[in-house]
Amino acid sequence: MKFDILLPSALFFLVLLLIGFYLKQREKNKRGKNFSKEYYIGGRSLNGFVLAMSLVATYGSVSSFVGGPGVAWQLGFAWVLFASVQVVAAYLILGILGKKMAVVARQIDAITIIDLIRFRYKSNFCANLCALVLLVFFITQMIAQFIGGAHIFAAVTGMDYAAGLLFFAAIVVLYTAIGGFNTVAITDTLCAIMMLAGMFLLAYAILHDGGGITNIMHTITNASAQGKIDLLSPTASNHVSIPLLMSQWILCGIGTIGLPQSAVRCISYKDTKSVHRAMIIGTIVCGAMMIGMPLLGILGRGVITAPLSQIGSTDNIIPLLIAQHMNPWLAGITIIGPLAATMSTISSLLIAGSSAVVKDIYLYYKRNEPVAKNQKTVARLGIAVTTFMGIATVLLAIKPPDIIVWINLFAFGGLETAFFWILIMGLFWKRANSTGAIASIIGGLLAYCTSTALGFHISTCHNIVIGIGSAAICFIIGSYIGKTPFAPEVKAVFFPEKN
Amino acid sequence: MKKLTYKEKFQQMNREAAATCIITAILIAFWWYGAFGIDRSLTFLSMPLWFFISCVGTYLLAIIFVWLITKFVFIDFDLDDDENKEKLKEYYK
Repeated sequence: MKFDILLPSALFFLVLLLIGFYLKQREKNKRGKNFSKEYYIGGRSLNGFVLAMSLVATYGSVSSFVGGPGVAWQLGFAWVLFASVQVVAAYLILGILGKKMAVVARQIDAITIIDLIRFRYKSNFCANLCALVLLVFFITQMIAQFIGGAHIFAAVTGMDYAAGLLFFAAIVVLYTAIGGFNTVAITDTLCAIMMLAGMFLLAYAILHDGGGITNIMHTITNASAQGKIDLLSPTASNHVSIPLLMSQWILCGIGTIGLPQSAVRCISYKDTKSVHRAMIIGTIVCGAMMIGMPLLGILGRGVITAPLSQIGSTDNIIPLLIAQHMNPWLAGITIIGPLAATMSTISSLLIAGSSAVVKDIYLYYKRNEPVAKNQKTVARLGIAVTTFMGIATVLLAIKPPDIIVWINLFAFGGLETAFFWILIMGLFWKRANSTGAIASIIGGLLAYCTSTALGFHISTCHNIVIGIGSAAICFIIGSYIGKTPFAPEVKAVFFPEKN
Repeated sequence: MKKLTYKEKFQQMNREAAATCIITAILIAFWWYGAFGIDRSLTFLSMPLWFFISCVGTYLLAIIFVWLITKFVFIDFDLDDDENKEKLKEYYK
């Protein structure tokens, strides 16, 4: 084990924990009045900077920091083009859903996305189905993030996989469970800063060791001429086909509007100034990371020239770059970047997952009982559920069952398929009703998951096209068939401008 | 901060959402042109020029567009609306 590499991340972890304990103490009074509002959305107090940073940190995961750049090392600039569609991921959700969700949530005192869905569609079945989909995909995504984070931690520090996992997982579960949403948002912000710092340090190391950009590009051009893949073309000799590039705009561009872990941020910020500022800051940071990291992957080709067969997997590229081309202290700081990417994603999934269990299921069914009104009971329950969910996912990540790895293949696209139209149609289409919403979740997910499982594709498009497409068709047909009467309070809250 | 009625807020938010969609459509078109409409042999800083136009160009354009719409289309107003909230109480009686 290399202690000099471990020290900066240990310090960083300590800071995150302290933030959790400090904010818990500071919120004590507010939590006594309305625990759920404080613990699950931070009392709607995010400012523009924190909103932007936490949105980007939640979105940027271990795959944007390790997996993606590794593939870019192999496929070249086409993969940067592939990743660059994510520049829209920050402003699009805030610009389209951001304000409307904030206004509506304040009218009906909604604390979760499911609260909004339950009120809009007037259907418990629809709301519970959404909560279930959210939980299943969140848990598998968390496990996948834990696995990814622990692997890179082990690779760089020389720690055993399980030991490394328990070490950093314990920290993230602890500060999330104790601190709640505000802690998640503030630590996310720190994580985003460390992600940027790691990226710039790595860029310096690569440019330095590769002998400058001209030299590196010379090596890449030579490798490109000798190999089978044209590293300098926008399609990587058809490894990244044009239909795939276009469907990427749906999967990682427009479709990200449907991610509930991002959408929950729309109901937790302070005022309109915050959201305007967050759109600008978020776009600057998100684009820098989503274009910068894969670009570093391809430039890494000028430093790591061994063939893939010697390296094993493209996932090893970033750990190798950090461990072999940086001095231990800088490596120690840089490794925080991918760890922070992992932790910030997990913490947000964990707190949103916990809210689905406590607020959307337990408190909803006990809403008329005095126990649910007692803020102390709710507080104990909320913290217990978060902790339990965290521990369970960590244990599953030690030796992940095949089924989890398998479900995770569907998680990202599945969440988008399930929530994209429910959120958009719910806010912009008066006609949308619960029949359409339920048809869209079930039909969309069925189409998306079976086509993915069976390996069916339309041309070389990503299956998200099938998922979002069939979800839209099911939604529209369902809404026209279903005769749910349009409740007057729904019109008064969601569509005051329509007759 | 502008004082708007609940109804006006929604009309305003629909305009803002439309502006967001329009800049995204332009960005996609620009990205596409940058990636496939440029002579591939051209380079900039030894890197392919198409990469700069489609990736870095779209990124910078996105920042400018978002700044423009938040400045000229988006409006500051109160996210809370007590008047409408009062009216809502009638439905729960």
